[in-house]
Amino acid sequence: MSAVIEIDGLRKTFHTLRHGHRVAVDGFDLLVEAGQVHGFLGPNGSGKTTTLRALLGLVRADSGRMSVLGASAPERLPEVAGRVGAIVESPQFFGNFTAHRTLRLLAVAGGVPTGRVDEVLEQVGLRDRGDERVKGYSLGMKQRLAVASALLKNPELLILDEPANGLDPAGIREMRDLMRSLSAAGVTVLLSSHILAEIQLICDHVTIISRGRRVAAGPVEEVLAGFDQHEWQVRVAEPERAAELLRALGLAVTDHPDHLLVAGVDEPELISRTLGEQGLWVRELVPLRPDLESVFLELTGTTPHPAVPRQLDGSVPPDAEPDDMLIDLDARENREVGA
Amino acid sequence: MKLVRAELERLSARRFVQLMVVLLLIAFAVTAATTLAGSHRPTPDEMSRAQAQAAEQRSSMEAAHDRCLRIKAGTVAPEESDYVPGDCSEIDPVRMEHVPVAGDFLSGVFTFADQARPLLYFLVAFLMLFGFLVAASYIGADLNSGGVVNLLLWRPRRGAVLGAKLGTLLGALLVLSAVASAAYLAVFWLIAQTAGLPGRLDGEFWRSLGATYGRGLVLVLLTAALGFAIATLGRHTSAALGAVAAYLVVWELGARLVLQIVGAARPDQWMLSSYVGAWLAGEARFWDSHACQGDTSGFCDGFYVMSWRPGLTVLLGLTAALVVAAFAAFRRRDLI
Repeated sequence: MSAVIEIDGLRKTFHTLRHGHRVAVDGFDLLVEAGQVHGFLGPNGSGKTTTLRALLGLVRADSGRMSVLGASAPERLPEVAGRVGAIVESPQFFGNFTAHRTLRLLAVAGGVPTGRVDEVLEQVGLRDRGDERVKGYSLGMKQRLAVASALLKNPELLILDEPANGLDPAGIREMRDLMRSLSAAGVTVLLSSHILAEIQLICDHVTIISRGRRVAAGPVEEVLAGFDQHEWQVRVAEPERAAELLRALGLAVTDHPDHLLVAGVDEPELISRTLGEQGLWVRELVPLRPDLESVFLELTGTTPHPAVPRQLDGSVPPDAEPDDMLIDLDARENREVGA
Repeated sequence: MKLVRAELERLSARRFVQLMVVLLLIAFAVTAATTLAGSHRPTPDEMSRAQAQAAEQRSSMEAAHDRCLRIKAGTVAPEESDYVPGDCSEIDPVRMEHVPVAGDFLSGVFTFADQARPLLYFLVAFLMLFGFLVAASYIGADLNSGGVVNLLLWRPRRGAVLGAKLGTLLGALLVLSAVASAAYLAVFWLIAQTAGLPGRLDGEFWRSLGATYGRGLVLVLLTAALGFAIATLGRHTSAALGAVAAYLVVWELGARLVLQIVGAARPDQWMLSSYVGAWLAGEARFWDSHACQGDTSGFCDGFYVMSWRPGLTVLLGLTAALVVAAFAAFRRRDLI
């Protein structure tokens, strides 16, 4: 597959008189290939939006190489801008304009046939509200309008920063369906979001950024598999005896009040057979697969801790070494296999 | 062209622009209505009385000039009440800019020839304020609200996007100012024709009024470009308003006071307002406090004249420098 977005070694530092310099993105890499629905995850302040802004030519990168649809960005971005639909953070629209007029103006400025306006309003569910002024819109409706503005160009590449922001559950589902239909139509989508369950449902590939650096990337299943400890939740009548039997097989067993947690088991038959042969009938045997949320929290070091309020300043300390930050999936895998 | 079309629609849809246009129309209507209400067409009796007074005034001026020439020639001895300038041509009615006419002696009669220029100055001042505020808020609000970012996602050419905004603004402002000024003068000309006096509307009058009209339009455009540039540099409408307020208070008032206290020779030549006045009026006369120091001849003209040329040079130079700086800053700026 051909690369639609390529970012290699992107670095961006913001300089302010008050706070000195702050490294927002530090040697970040991203690869999105044609046809992917690619999730872009990271905690607040991790550099997601800065990366997208740099890619779209809104902020000047200190160094690094970027390309969009084969054109180097931001220098040759104008050549491909007509094929890229994008929203960055929550775009603000002119409150006194109706949604219809807002989109028509964008269409005129971008040389898109104004007939597209009704089509995209229909696509995002604003067909019947398109003649209302934007200032009367809810956050979710404004977000739909933003997505509509990105779709107006009938883009080959769609870059959406938090598109589900402010949407109600039905709206989130509609957005998910829209992404799927776009993907099915061959549109490549780069989606930044905090709603991890959504990313897991929609995206086939994911890149996770933390403190300005890439900490994981690849197909969603592969990223999750890297964190799979092959754990099983077991409910059985005599848990103490069951635990002894399983430990005798060399398995790692953790006792919990109402169940056992057995790790390092590829095939569940081993558990049920071992216990069944001793007359202990398994009432419940549930595989514990890692989800994107747990992987995200672990990779980004943002697992909530009741005693320590998390601070949102995710900037990279100027003297931090790259290895301090990077979690190498291969090394982790090897470590776990060794254990 | 597509960008310009979109910008023109955005500009005309802005509430602030609409409000300022309404204010312009209100100011227009109020001035015209009060002028119409306070003027009447002079009766033949009023007219002949005024003409007689004007003729009397002119002949007394001519007599004073003749007497001056005779005093200089030594054929007449000067009296205490005589005003005898160094050069009698100073009081020669033929050389005077304004000689008494009937209109000067008519009360409650609007005379277009006398009032057209002050009326035009008022309109130019209003349009300058209009242009500055609209230009500053147009780009300031767009930079703040993310409107510019939206547009750049569609047309990632910063120079073209900002240029389209400035070009559209100046073009629209030029059309509005030209039409408004022409309509404004036409309305007062009609008032003079129906309820006042046209006055002396010769070729020289129209040439001079036309020049003021043209210079006024240039000034309106320069002011708008300045507001646009300062708001772009400061990223906010308030940056432009603050910069102008600070300039007026700190420099035009504060520095002028300090320059007067230290006895600087020509403080007016350091003030932008002097150049604005010189450009708009064609020339401006200022007092040089050092010019007559040590003069013992008894006659010294301490005034100096600033022509429209330095006025245009300074205003154009300042505006061009700020616009270039604004474009350069916008090209390099991180839009976050």
